[in-house]
Amino acid sequence: MNTLNQVGHPSPRIDAQKRVTGTATYTGDIRLPGMLYARVLRSPHAHARIRRIDVSRAQALPGVKAILTRENCDVVWGSGDTRNKRYLFNNPVRFAGDAVAAVAAMDRHTAEEATRLIEVDYGTLPFVLDPEDALKPGAVEIQPGGNHSPNNQGARQPEVYRRGNIEEGLRAADQVFEDHYTSAHINNAQLEPRVSIAQWEGDKLTVYASTQGISNCHTEIARDLKLAPENVRVICQFMGGGFGNKNQCHDFDLMAAMLAKQTGAPVKLEFTRKEDFLAVHGRWPTKQYYKVGVKRDGTLTAIQLRGYSGMGPYRKGSGGIAGIEIYQCPHVERSVTQAYTNMAVSANLRGPDYPQGVFGIESLMDDIAYSLNMDPVDFRLKNMTRKFNDQTPYTSIGLEDCIRRGAEAFEWKKRWHAPGVGFGPVKRGAGMAMGSFFSSLGRSSAVIDLDSRGMYHVHVGVTDIGTAAKTTMALIAAEELGVPLEKIDVIWGDTGRCPYSVGESGSRTTTHTGYAVVQAAKDLKRQIAEKGLPQGDQMLTAAANTNPTVQNAARYSFVAHFAEVEVDIELGHVKVVKYVAAHDSGRVVNPLTATSQVKGGAIMGIGMALHEELLYDKQTGLPLTAGYYGARVMTHLDAPEIEVHWIETEDPYGPFGAKTLGEPTIIPSVAAVANAIYNAIGKRVKDLPITRDKILAVLA
Amino acid sequence: MSKISRRRFFEGTGAGIVATAVPLQGQETKAPPPGTVPRTTIQVTVNGERRKIEVEDRWTLVEVLRDHLGLTGSKIGCDRGECGACTVLLDGKPVYSCSQLAVWADGRSVQTVEGLSPNGQLDPLQQAFIQHDGPQCGFCTSGQLMSAKALLNRNPHPTLDEVRHAMTGNICRCSNYNRYVESVMAAAGTLSASARRKA
Repeated sequence: MNTLNQVGHPSPRIDAQKRVTGTATYTGDIRLPGMLYARVLRSPHAHARIRRIDVSRAQALPGVKAILTRENCDVVWGSGDTRNKRYLFNNPVRFAGDAVAAVAAMDRHTAEEATRLIEVDYGTLPFVLDPEDALKPGAVEIQPGGNHSPNNQGARQPEVYRRGNIEEGLRAADQVFEDHYTSAHINNAQLEPRVSIAQWEGDKLTVYASTQGISNCHTEIARDLKLAPENVRVICQFMGGGFGNKNQCHDFDLMAAMLAKQTGAPVKLEFTRKEDFLAVHGRWPTKQYYKVGVKRDGTLTAIQLRGYSGMGPYRKGSGGIAGIEIYQCPHVERSVTQAYTNMAVSANLRGPDYPQGVFGIESLMDDIAYSLNMDPVDFRLKNMTRKFNDQTPYTSIGLEDCIRRGAEAFEWKKRWHAPGVGFGPVKRGAGMAMGSFFSSLGRSSAVIDLDSRGMYHVHVGVTDIGTAAKTTMALIAAEELGVPLEKIDVIWGDTGRCPYSVGESGSRTTTHTGYAVVQAAKDLKRQIAEKGLPQGDQMLTAAANTNPTVQNAARYSFVAHFAEVEVDIELGHVKVVKYVAAHDSGRVVNPLTATSQVKGGAIMGIGMALHEELLYDKQTGLPLTAGYYGARVMTHLDAPEIEVHWIETEDPYGPFGAKTLGEPTIIPSVAAVANAIYNAIGKRVKDLPITRDKILAVLA
Repeated sequence: MSKISRRRFFEGTGAGIVATAVPLQGQETKAPPPGTVPRTTIQVTVNGERRKIEVEDRWTLVEVLRDHLGLTGSKIGCDRGECGACTVLLDGKPVYSCSQLAVWADGRSVQTVEGLSPNGQLDPLQQAFIQHDGPQCGFCTSGQLMSAKALLNRNPHPTLDEVRHAMTGNICRCSNYNRYVESVMAAAGTLSASARRKA
């Protein structure tokens, strides 16, 4: 791979100084003159019909300026449900946390007090939490038409993928393995709580949002409030993480806008941390039933998955279960059913379909390797994907190198052993898992202005959710323009000043918007060659609207993770003591920040493997662990050192051959830890998270 | 100058922040009658400057810092003593400023992230956080910095484990823990060879 001047060299973030001095302005830091504060009242029941709402006492509280309920607000939140009509305030309420009313007041304490003065008469309804229970005859109907959420074709059928003939594949096997796995609802838990500020000037609305995609947010606010798109502006300068739960416009953006309209003042709507855990969304819980057919030599003949995803009462995410595509196999059948439940809503969380699915299939493949007396690394090298769905060539694939180089760096041969051997009470074990993630190309735009002082102003509609997107765009521009990084000024996060960008979801910013930056820079260079550098008040401007596609190939990033754990078999405590991550994301634009992404994603996955779950009380349908302590998200003391290795394949697409990165980082980590625990104790925990009680139970 | 006890605070409007396992619409609380929210004038030294300010007794320290003194570097991540994004130094000790009433700071000294580089000269910790890519989204960064500052003030050459222990009350959901520890070790001049080797 050829060396470049800017791309490929570690660069601190161009906005790092603001982030370490407290001068980076996040949405919650904004204070507008005359601004009111808003709070939301939420359902305390899992499922209930509202018989009456009385806001009179709340309204009488001095300082209260406006109250929205279903009675005076029938705005539909389009992105809140892709199948049914979801209002800002719904009746019946369908989960503990469903919005009932929103109050704007002079200050946040008054707003909060007012929510407590609203009297709501609820008639409680039966509820259901488990996706399979929800589909049984006689289960309470959560949405009209039943709890089987329609698939992408609009039918109340599972999403199905098939190749070959599964029955034939199972018949051809020497041995068929069958097992099932479950994964929990966990929350994105980004540090910045949800906040939105809305301000009207005449019929023009400005929303200061905390969003992963200003363009989507802009389009959706205009659609839901029936405004002309040119009358809406969305601004998000610094934002404190999202991991998939800030992709769209959200109900609170719309509530803030409606309250601001009604009061004639800017309104800041803030969520509490508990609301953030319950009322936005988390990763969908799954139940996965597998059958895998295998020949005596370890060749796969069939993979069958029947899965169920609990979507909560509104269909906001895909509810997919991915992972089996990392294996080559002639006969495959995947059938996943999405069901409505009365749990918190489920939708995107970093690598939406993947870590839970990879946990399932990689746990089973690990068991198969052991029972065939094969080293799990050799088993994967034998069976890993070579072509996408065994048909379409990849634009580049470094999976084998990820496995081989990762195993070498990890010292796999030394650390891995027969399962459960070793003397207690603390047993060591090693495990690994692999994964892939779609590295998309597609629509985005960029504008670059050059002024006579030699500054290049790069306008991109990114928001930089922590991935260093701004720095990445600056590096790509500097590389293509052949100028130092200091000559690049990035303008971001404002639909009034930036062109369309796909948004920070699907790990697409570098590949989509980065490519647009390259094309705009090429155009600008042509203009400079033609017209010369601008002088005095002159300016040169280049714009690119790009939508590249891949021809007759599939573009994916690949990854293999290796973990070593210590399991205290008396206490059930697990400690991850060594961790190696090997990634093929094509060319790495900024090794400093890219390495941080991998470290963070892997550690987040360890938390998903060992700790996190939004637990529900089955008697009441109420959540018990909404918050950082309850979820037990990873802390400094839990986090091992993550060793990162780059397998930089040459890929013909993307900006300088860069493939996708942010989400692959979490994909195999859950399974790698689970497999290491198996190797340590010789028993398999099949339900996430792998908590102490479950470890002690399988050892008992 | 009335002193507010923790009990009185929780009996009043602060009750909304406690307990994770109760239904959302908790018990109705006995808020003071409208317009009669008790107020107290306090004197606090903030980043070396003496400030006199009248506060509502129910305001937390982080609310006063952010909403009334314009120091928005300290973040509110959970408002219930779980995440550490609001960490400031109170008389040199790290505290969650969401879990302190402003009136409790009367007569005391507060240092926030804005006080780390009073003359625009970055603290070695801030420089190390930039070089070693401490902040990803950056929302927890001010809290991480203040916990690290308190540590280095009392222990200029900590071990890796001492850093992890001192900062474990600061959650980073981007999970950039390796980088934060690496940054603090670098600032302390005790960066291990292995951490230095890595990009």
